[in-house]
Amino acid sequence: MGAMASIPAAQVQRGRPIGPDLPRRAWRGAAIGAGNLAAWASRASGRGSGASIRGQVITTLYPRAFAELIAGRRIAAVSGTNGKTTTTHLLTAALRSSVADPHDVVTNADGANLREGIASALSQRIHAPIAVLETDEQVVPDLVRLGHPEVLVMLNFSRDQLDRHHEIKSLGKKWRDALQALGEQGPVVVANLHDPLVSWAAEAAHTTIWVDMGVGWTQDAALCPECGAVLRYELSEGWSCPGCGLAQHAPDYAVDAEGLRGPEGAHWPLQLAVPGRFNRGNAACALAAAVVMGVQPTTALQAMAGVTAPAGRFSIGHFGETSARLLLAKNPAGWSESLLVMQSDPVILAIDSAIADGTDVSWLWDVDYEQLAGRHVVCTGPRAQDLAVRLSYAGVGHSLVPSLGEAMHAHYDGTVDVLATYTAFLTLCKMGGVTW
Amino acid sequence: MVSHNPVRIVVVYQSLLGIYGDRGNAMVLTQRLRRRGIDAELVMVEPGSPVPTDGAVYLLGGGEDLAQVAAVNAMRADGGIFHALEDGAVLFAVCAGYQIAGNTFTVGDHDEVIEGLGLVDATTRRGPVRAVGEVLSHWTRPDGLEVVLSGFENHGGYTTLGPAARPLARIELGVGNCGDGTEGAVQGQVVCTYPHGPNLVRNPALADWLLEKALGRTLGELPDEQLNEELRVLREQRITVARHSKNLAEDTRWLGARR
Ligand SMILES: [Zn+2]
Repeated sequence: MGAMASIPAAQVQRGRPIGPDLPRRAWRGAAIGAGNLAAWASRASGRGSGASIRGQVITTLYPRAFAELIAGRRIAAVSGTNGKTTTTHLLTAALRSSVADPHDVVTNADGANLREGIASALSQRIHAPIAVLETDEQVVPDLVRLGHPEVLVMLNFSRDQLDRHHEIKSLGKKWRDALQALGEQGPVVVANLHDPLVSWAAEAAHTTIWVDMGVGWTQDAALCPECGAVLRYELSEGWSCPGCGLAQHAPDYAVDAEGLRGPEGAHWPLQLAVPGRFNRGNAACALAAAVVMGVQPTTALQAMAGVTAPAGRFSIGHFGETSARLLLAKNPAGWSESLLVMQSDPVILAIDSAIADGTDVSWLWDVDYEQLAGRHVVCTGPRAQDLAVRLSYAGVGHSLVPSLGEAMHAHYDGTVDVLATYTAFLTLCKMGGVTW
Repeated sequence: MVSHNPVRIVVVYQSLLGIYGDRGNAMVLTQRLRRRGIDAELVMVEPGSPVPTDGAVYLLGGGEDLAQVAAVNAMRADGGIFHALEDGAVLFAVCAGYQIAGNTFTVGDHDEVIEGLGLVDATTRRGPVRAVGEVLSHWTRPDGLEVVLSGFENHGGYTTLGPAARPLARIELGVGNCGDGTEGAVQGQVVCTYPHGPNLVRNPALADWLLEKALGRTLGELPDEQLNEELRVLREQRITVARHSKNLAEDTRWLGARR
């Protein structure tokens, strides 16, 4: 590996040279101003937070915005299929607790995690020295190259929309290539050791901190990413490849029954406001990343305990007489974990199949709805009928109320738990007065 | 015909060939036996463990290129599935499972030709466009009744049948085998189809026919009125949506639901 050198300017991506007469900063400022105006207009017309329209305007008017806005800050990035929004919120809380002015830490709290969303968030705090960036899996290679994050959290790769499944492995390869190319100039990687594809990609980093998140979803990882052999799973050793020897790493941080274990025998109790064992795993990753950024573990943990509803997740919505806790799951792995969190009886499950949800609902058969047996399920959303059939075959009692509004305004005792696909979740947040 | 007790429904290598909820087909078959009072067992077998030879129905589902190759190698080395089919078991092979059940198929960017299991006279090569979306086809049951089959296809390979196999159904919407108007294949006890994942959910008549083939007797209607009615409505919805969608891949939600 080469010596620690600053990146030659030539490596920084150049956008199309439009508007050469204007000084660059003024041009960028004008683009951000236009973006803010568009965002304001979008909010005023009730079409959403305006973050994505702002980002689109800025990056259209000033193509270099993403590259320039991420340069020159201390960056912590979070990516993976599931858990990145909550992990980003936990890590942001940890970092804000250790700086004098919380505004010094900027983040894309709304979960807008493509180039536009990231540019939008950063444009609102041009001078914030620290950024915590939830980053779409596709954007990670560019972010790593252009932004030189100090730490990159790699949570997991799982099937999201089934139509995109074949992309998972090539994504893992792009991450690995980007880390390899940067060598010593790349980030410290915090990686989920249960995920073979994450592990394979993370091995290319100069330093990897391995986290046992306490949860392993292995349905998407049958073949070795290095050599294609069928992976072996054992309870004690975890996964390993009989072909090339790629194998699960020993943890630096681990979730256990009492809390979190860290390096050198450290142990901390773990109290979180966000529910579920997957969020304990997310917290372990956030803690490891916070420590890399220089935060004391106890300070970080205390701050993370105060995180309640990242981008609406786990928040309480109000629908007339009904109070409902809103849960989001985007894929079979997310559904399986979220079902464990649901406490009410009945529970409401809301299924849509818009593009953002995946148009094919075959995944309903990869989720063990059988565990809801004995409770009543209200099936709602445009694909409620598919769910009803799934529950009938699972032997779970249910009723069918396709309209989300009708389902939410029925009478329930106490707070009812609602688990929804992405589009249905956003609709429910709006309907239930949940904003973020 | 097989007469084991309990009747075993065997999912072969779900970790390799099960990425689209294919397990659903096994659940449907098992439940449709149990609800008729027939003792049934769902068996999942993974590479490294022997494929049982006493199953009634064997299921192969969808998977990626490398997984297809790994599955073919493991099944050939194991040999169990060939013995079971010689003894009269039924094979229901879906999507990638259909391709590997044939004579040859291709994988990778350079279309490397791979020898399949040779269980059905079918050959698969990369097609001009990926087939993604709702698909409807017409299947003629052994008793002569025509049944609409509804499903969701997602495949890049196009399959042509040899003389030993005949198509399962005629395409109304979608691509099916290779855009020649045929869908799936039947050859003795081997039944193949492209609509992936839990496609027996939407097609209970096809599910019952597979069971009847395996058991060698007719089963009669499922004694579960609520489920029968839910399935009727689901089929009606999916067929309506497929027939009224401009873009079969994207515009597939139930249009009747108010938000
Ligand atoms: Zn290997």
